[in-house]
Amino acid sequence: MTHHEVEKYSAGARWFHWTITIAALVLAVTGLFLYVPWFSSVAEGGTTRVIHRIAAVIFVAAPLLFLLVKPGRSLHFVKEIFTWGKDDLAWLKAAPDYYFGGDEKKMPPQGDMNTGQKLWAVVAFFSALGFIFTGIFMWFLKDTLPAEVFDWMVIVHDLCFIVGGAMLLVHLYLGAIHPRMTESLKSMIKGKVSAEYAQSHHGKWYKEVVGRESAAKTAPGGQGQKPAH
Amino acid sequence: MAKAILYDATKCTACRGCQAACKQWNELEAEETKNTGSYENPADLSFRTWLKMRFNEVENGNGLAWLFTRRACMHCTDAGCVQVCPTKAVDKTAEGIVFIDREKCTGCGYCVEACPFDVPRLDGSRLTGKAKMFKCILCKDRVDNGLEPACVKTCPPGALDFGDRDEMVARAQARVDELGGDARLYGEKELDGLHVLYVVNHPLEDHKLPASPEVSPSITLWQDILQPVGYGVVGVVAGGLLLNYMVARARMVRQKEGK
Repeated sequence: MTHHEVEKYSAGARWFHWTITIAALVLAVTGLFLYVPWFSSVAEGGTTRVIHRIAAVIFVAAPLLFLLVKPGRSLHFVKEIFTWGKDDLAWLKAAPDYYFGGDEKKMPPQGDMNTGQKLWAVVAFFSALGFIFTGIFMWFLKDTLPAEVFDWMVIVHDLCFIVGGAMLLVHLYLGAIHPRMTESLKSMIKGKVSAEYAQSHHGKWYKEVVGRESAAKTAPGGQGQKPAH
Repeated sequence: MAKAILYDATKCTACRGCQAACKQWNELEAEETKNTGSYENPADLSFRTWLKMRFNEVENGNGLAWLFTRRACMHCTDAGCVQVCPTKAVDKTAEGIVFIDREKCTGCGYCVEACPFDVPRLDGSRLTGKAKMFKCILCKDRVDNGLEPACVKTCPPGALDFGDRDEMVARAQARVDELGGDARLYGEKELDGLHVLYVVNHPLEDHKLPASPEVSPSITLWQDILQPVGYGVVGVVAGGLLLNYMVARARMVRQKEGK
């Protein structure tokens, strides 16, 4: 069983993830040019503002498209990130010892998303709503808004950038750089993780997968392993 | 040395020679307008109308007053547009002229929102956001070459004057004393001193001049507070992640060696 792999992310989920990642990074970088005076010379002329808008359209369209194509998976995702229980509290308490020291003993078993991933998803969800809401006003309703209201739209847009951007850094780090997250990035590229990784990082979810697999194997005409959702 | 335009509303006949001279010198196209039942035309400033005369009909105790007010950039010392411009495309000269470098302008329009006198105008596309800001630049090109602004040069009744700001303030003060009554000087102290001074002998509101113009604190909030907060948050997070990487890495190496 050492080379056994389980599917973690479907092709659709991976495409969605990387589309929104690229859009978000382009938005962050082109936004940064207006935010940080050192980089402002890059924004001169206004081309970065046009790129920002193209990326914004993709950033809004991608989730809408995903919702349209996979409504069940989308709703499940939203439900999951807002479902918090005792295990999540225990995870938060145990996380520093694990992420610094590698002490896994106190980490409660996790679903396909662990508490940290849910936390990031909640922050991303709300900052995206904030970005989109204020962004629409800043784009289309500039002339109709009183100056005071416009200023506040910019301020909220900036606040979303600070909170969402800081969490994005943490997400990038844990997904791609942290020495113990050996299969996280791979799983989002190839879709699969090893059984060992699934067991130790997403124990609750792994049990479900194994349960489903054995059920499928015993059922006549079973197709073998199924993706998580 | 600070310069200033002095506009004396009590001498102005609203011939609008200044409007025409402004368009001619700055090569601004005419625009089609509608008759709104007033001599005032065009109705508002635009990206190609940087200066216009405002006509106000005001009823007071003595009957009807027909007031003329110059509408163009006031060239504030405490200039909101300069403060908010992310690329420093809007800037001030030593003379106090607030000008715009359209090569640098991103078209974000923050200056439009920041101006207490509703002066800057954008020309561009709402959809793509590509735009440039336009406004009076006090004929910077002429002033740099020792000339007075085009509006001042053309003014037939001599209602416009131009020179060192101190000299203009002194002349305005002398004119106010000469007129007496309700006459007053506007622009000496407003926003730390405007570089367009007004002599008026009717209440400011009748001229539609804001009695105490100010740069709204919310427009600089993001620069004064959000920017440093953002740097701080990102700095702490990045530092924390780096520390985490080093500690986690060291532990892993030690664990492997222990085995």
